Amino acid sequence: MADIANEVQQQVRERRPLTLSVVLKNRWFLYGLSILVFFLVWDMTAAAKAFRSGLPRPHEVALQLWRMLFDPLAGKSLLGHVWASTQRILIGFTIASLVAVPLGLMMALNRYVNAIVKPLFDLLKPMPPLAWISIAILWFGIGETSKVFIIIIGTFVPCLLDAYNGVRLVEPELYDVIRMLGGKRRHEIIQVCFPAAFPAIFAGLQIALSIAWSCVLAAELVSARSGLGFIIILGMNLSRPAMIVGGMVVIALVAWSMSQLVSALERFVCPWKREIDGR
Amino acid sequence: MREESHSCQAKIVCEDITKVFIQKGTQRVHVLDHISLDVKENEFVVILGPGQSGKSTLLRIIAGLETPTEGSVRIDGREVDGPGPDRGLVFQGYMLFAWKTVLGNVEMGPKLRGVPKKERREIAAHYIHLVGLDGFENHYPHQLSGGMKQRVGIARAYANNPQVMLLDEPFGQLDAQTRYFMEKETARIWETEKRTILFVTNNIDEAIYLADRIITLEGKLPGRMNVVYNVDLPRPREHTDMAFLKLRHKITEASALTL
Repeated sequence: MADIANEVQQQVRERRPLTLSVVLKNRWFLYGLSILVFFLVWDMTAAAKAFRSGLPRPHEVALQLWRMLFDPLAGKSLLGHVWASTQRILIGFTIASLVAVPLGLMMALNRYVNAIVKPLFDLLKPMPPLAWISIAILWFGIGETSKVFIIIIGTFVPCLLDAYNGVRLVEPELYDVIRMLGGKRRHEIIQVCFPAAFPAIFAGLQIALSIAWSCVLAAELVSARSGLGFIIILGMNLSRPAMIVGGMVVIALVAWSMSQLVSALERFVCPWKREIDGR
Repeated sequence: MREESHSCQAKIVCEDITKVFIQKGTQRVHVLDHISLDVKENEFVVILGPGQSGKSTLLRIIAGLETPTEGSVRIDGREVDGPGPDRGLVFQGYMLFAWKTVLGNVEMGPKLRGVPKKERREIAAHYIHLVGLDGFENHYPHQLSGGMKQRVGIARAYANNPQVMLLDEPFGQLDAQTRYFMEKETARIWETEKRTILFVTNNIDEAIYLADRIITLEGKLPGRMNVVYNVDLPRPREHTDMAFLKLRHKITEASALTL
């Protein structure tokens, strides 16, 4: 034990006295400063009417959001609209990831599946998901189905690609380890392939989530009676910039929370990565 | 020499191994040329050769991860036709499972063979102790230094109770200090739990420190066997002993052109 003590890398953090330079270098202080400066510049720009009345001041946006919490728009309060968008994303994102991730894994593991799916996928991959909006409305009408469809189209690609690449990039010698230890093909897949691909799969889910927000917003801007995209387009039609910016702010907050949730799930599923990222 | 090793019980028998890789469809790379060697039970044999002398390929053939173009490998008289748990392989790049703890890595072999949890925990604990990693059972590989990672690699191979240990430049990525120390540890582990060991290295000191017998390969492809040295220095050895240095000088001289 004592022998290998010199091999152990220990990080000892000393407590330093609180001086100005310590405060200035503090991560949290800089976070706060950066956000504070952003709001100051925003408020000054708005107060100076740089965009005429097109840019509301921060407190006007806050007031607008507060009002929307209680006064329903098109029959729904703000939270109702948040839920409308979130629900579409959850349905589309869940369907897409449940199909695309296993399909991506299978493509990487089986060359016949790969040979059948890859040409189709490569053909459809470069098409922007928003190009599907018009045809989706023709097929499914302006209801929920067309919006969920767009989200599925948009999130399918990163889910599948990252699962596929995650498996393809596994160090081949790790399979040799399993084989040398007496493992079979299924052990290679369960013990090496899947866990090694997890981080890539989660990276794909994160990308898919942000694409899902773009998709739902675009779909709602085209036609919807609810959702955050609807609030934004309503704000434009009513010439109420505070409503538009308010919608944007809420989208940022909700999208950020959802991505935090996926990160939390990743930390739960991949505990070995926790400390690599956490420094 | 060959005569003698045949009379004893030979654990590993390599007969006339030749390996030619086909690259890009047509290009032939001749890596090994008629290599024959026997390793006795519990013998520590080091294959010494510079980079690009085919020594790792030879080890991978014995491991069953590559098939020889000509010739055959037998272990305990049984022909090798693929990788298997009778041989334990330690990799130059450690190749630990990043998603498993030290314990999870070490118990992988028994787990794949279906050993019950309680029993394989005991096996793993035993080998973790053997390599001196007590207290690190629940660490993940990225929390360990290079030397400790390779300890896990060695324990993982040992825990599967192989007949033969194959080590492929296991300390190639370590700094000089840790390397010396790991050589000492390897000798200690081998003397605690005797196994037949085939150890590949490009380091003369490492070879002399560890080996009962050193097999040198020529320095260019295709790999051919050069001189075989019996190292009958008493253990534990010292890098600065006169006899050690003499042998070192002899090997260096003999392979001056190639090493």
